Amino acid sequence: MDKEIKDLLKQQFNQNLTTNIETIEKVLDKSSDLVKRDFVIHGTSNLRAVCYFTDGLVDKLQVEHVLESLQYEFHKYLATSDGYVDFENSADSLNENLLYNSSVSTTKDLQKGIDAVLIGDALVIVDGLSEAIIIAARGYAMRSIAEPTNEQVVRGPRDGFVENLRTNTATLRRRIRDPLFRIDSVQIGKKTKTDVGIAYIKGLASDDLVEEVKARLSNIEIDGILESGYIEELISDGPWTPFPTIQSTERPDKAASSILEGRVVLLIDNTPFTLLMPVSFWQFLQASDDYYYNFYIGSFFRLIRYIAFVVSLTFPSIFVMLASFHQEMIPTPLALTIASGREVNPFPVLLEALLMEISFELMREAGLRMPKPIGSAVSIVGSLIIGQAAVQAGLISPFMVIVVALTGIASFAIPNYSSSFAIRLMRFPILIASGTLGLLGFTFTIGLLLIHLISLRSFGKPYFEPFAPYEPNEFKDMFIRSPWWSMKKQPSHVTQNTNRVGSNQMPSPPKKGEEDES
Amino acid sequence: MKITKFIVILIAVSLLTSCAGKREINDLAIVLAVGIDKGEKQKFKVTVEVVRASDARGQTGSPAGNAGDPMWIASAEGDSIFEAIRNISTYSSRRVFWAHNYVIVVNEELAEKEGIKDIIDFFTRNPELRMRTWIVATPDKAGEVVSTQTGLEVIPGEALSKLFRYNPISAVSPRTQIRDVHTAYLSESSDPIMARVKLQERVVPNKADGGGGGGEKPPGGEEKGKGEPSIKQIEMSGTTVFKKDKMVGTLSKKETRGLLPFIENVGTAIIPLTCPGKEKEKITVEVKKNKVEVLPFIKDNAPFYKINLSLTTNVVEANCDFDIDDRKMIDEIERNLEKKYKGYIKSALEKGQKEYKADIFELGKTFENKYPEKWKSFRENWDEKYAAAKFDINVKAEVQSGVLLYTPTQPGSRGK
Repeated sequence: MDKEIKDLLKQQFNQNLTTNIETIEKVLDKSSDLVKRDFVIHGTSNLRAVCYFTDGLVDKLQVEHVLESLQYEFHKYLATSDGYVDFENSADSLNENLLYNSSVSTTKDLQKGIDAVLIGDALVIVDGLSEAIIIAARGYAMRSIAEPTNEQVVRGPRDGFVENLRTNTATLRRRIRDPLFRIDSVQIGKKTKTDVGIAYIKGLASDDLVEEVKARLSNIEIDGILESGYIEELISDGPWTPFPTIQSTERPDKAASSILEGRVVLLIDNTPFTLLMPVSFWQFLQASDDYYYNFYIGSFFRLIRYIAFVVSLTFPSIFVMLASFHQEMIPTPLALTIASGREVNPFPVLLEALLMEISFELMREAGLRMPKPIGSAVSIVGSLIIGQAAVQAGLISPFMVIVVALTGIASFAIPNYSSSFAIRLMRFPILIASGTLGLLGFTFTIGLLLIHLISLRSFGKPYFEPFAPYEPNEFKDMFIRSPWWSMKKQPSHVTQNTNRVGSNQMPSPPKKGEEDES
Repeated sequence: MKITKFIVILIAVSLLTSCAGKREINDLAIVLAVGIDKGEKQKFKVTVEVVRASDARGQTGSPAGNAGDPMWIASAEGDSIFEAIRNISTYSSRRVFWAHNYVIVVNEELAEKEGIKDIIDFFTRNPELRMRTWIVATPDKAGEVVSTQTGLEVIPGEALSKLFRYNPISAVSPRTQIRDVHTAYLSESSDPIMARVKLQERVVPNKADGGGGGGEKPPGGEEKGKGEPSIKQIEMSGTTVFKKDKMVGTLSKKETRGLLPFIENVGTAIIPLTCPGKEKEKITVEVKKNKVEVLPFIKDNAPFYKINLSLTTNVVEANCDFDIDDRKMIDEIERNLEKKYKGYIKSALEKGQKEYKADIFELGKTFENKYPEKWKSFRENWDEKYAAAKFDINVKAEVQSGVLLYTPTQPGSRGK
């Protein structure tokens, strides 16, 4: 059966309408959403035609408009020679003269015609014509542009990507009007045939990079792409690493700035999450507000995020390590406070920390999965039971509650969810190593982690750049965000050094004398 | 496959160690002060003051609290310090943990008869002990000193430590750490000193039961039966001087004031002086800055030291009329102060050089630094050379300001 349909799809359109209809109906069977509209072209001797489209995917007004013009006007533009209809040239004539639609094409391949129907275009087949006409009439219900809820900013554009690829390309195009800005398109997924847009600025993004992205995409063999995560995992450089080597974002401004830095952005149909590549690890600690606010504010909050990164990765481990191995490293008054809190505690510090960390993750996950109206109940129960009762019952020391809470808050301050998740995940091996081997285990696991991170590549670019390999010039936009007038070059991480800001951009009051010139 | 092996090894490493060396913080007996006395039967008696964390901190949510004392005192004897400590652990349910020790108190009787060699060796050899622990000597029982609750701090060890940390205000005792004693002991010329503390009965005027600061009665606070309630306080009282490792004597608070400029940066000191021309009234100056220069020379094949001390002071209290513009009066105050400070230094030098024959002023070291060649011939018989050393003491005092007041505090002075 499958093979039969595959063979059918390889066919071309037949001049005989009935054969065509039979073939199409063999392939598509009788899907309830497939609409077949037979009609006769007026002014001819019963020239029959048929229009196929998928209900719900087309804009019906457009289809009706097309049908109307076909039924009543078509005969005027039928190319005739010797009193007979010249079917060879009719399709072109139709295209040029009659159809008001903005995007019309003809095809001979049955496969393409059926694809068009399934994608939301209308397919018109006229008896006697060996070509089918594809009329773009896509129009389906979709979510309107809204602010991305996962990457909120205080200052910055409020629009986000949506599930529709075309809308997304438009949002990007509205930001970058450069003629060299390219959005190439490929289809991935044997069954889903998902459209993927490859957006980059030609000349700015290195050709090698664009080629590499395209090559990796063309290697994908999968039945379906439902979210950009599929693609991310299929083309990333480190298949085993928990750290994201491709950044995903819902923010068009973030995507646009990546494109301007010479990166490649993948826009995937049916998901608002676009993929940016290549990335360095430090990008996950940068938020778009950093660039919109005054650079002091941007730098300060960026530093806070670096602290959050260190805290969320190591704080519980350091506490466990100090409290169970290296008590001499704690200042005496603090050591006494910790000891007094742990006086009646039945668990070893490591177990206590693991219990609390896991229950914290549990609460987070439960709060996420619960229906929204009940979600707040989780936090109330969680904070009351864990925070209050467990401490009063002497099960958990108050210090551990503070440590875990601080760690949790710090992990929420990391702007990128997938990297925040990676960091939260890495916390557990470090915690176990510190709790069993003390400082030795802590340094060992941190060392392993660093080795792993430094060995990672993102589309061939070192993941830890500019830290390793050390690129002093890139530090202008790493721990701090330098003022725009001082960041003259593009980051060399992805593209060759090209100027981004003109020279002498630092604003200053006009000198005396020059004032009068204008 | 490689990764699986790697992960298996990692898990094995962390699990098979069975948390070697792990000791939970609440399983430790954290020592905050240790006292070393002469034992009755054996050589040493070591008394440790272990903090009971939950009582010291009054942790909410820890039901073990409210049992009373914030500390637990344990003592045991032994022929060596380590043996005594091991004897403590025969009845201590928790592991004795030394890293947070604030202070080592040494009994003077022990220091005089047995010397402090064993103490220096033990407290610098053990990796769990810090080199920056305070070390003090006391004429009282060291065990009593470490177990005396002063009332202000919850834990006595902390009280002693803070006494030293904020010591520059009073400047009556040196701030000696085990490191300093160790250095001086190892040095070929210098001799060690220790701060001296003693227990002093202090009358508590407003208390009938002799209680300290808190509601509970501290163990040190005992009524003498004479009507006046009093509480024992640990207070600083000068310096204990050693020759090699044996204690040879003490310096009083005033003599210590003469010693301090040689060995450390003194903070402030309060010096009451008689008012110029009015013997009964007092004017008090506070030394804000002092700068000392010890310049060694060789005279008659013996060391000769020129000691230049310059003091910057403020008048902080004037019972007589004091006007900052009165140059003559200020000059006189300065002369008085110079005389007084010269006296301090002289008496300290007198005691150290003549009476105890101990180089506690680091004079040998100063000499060596300036004349390294000459030192080679001096080092053999430094004790004799030191005894023959001569001094020229110059003190230069300056009254800088009258703090907030310029004019005398006297009726009718406003509106002039």
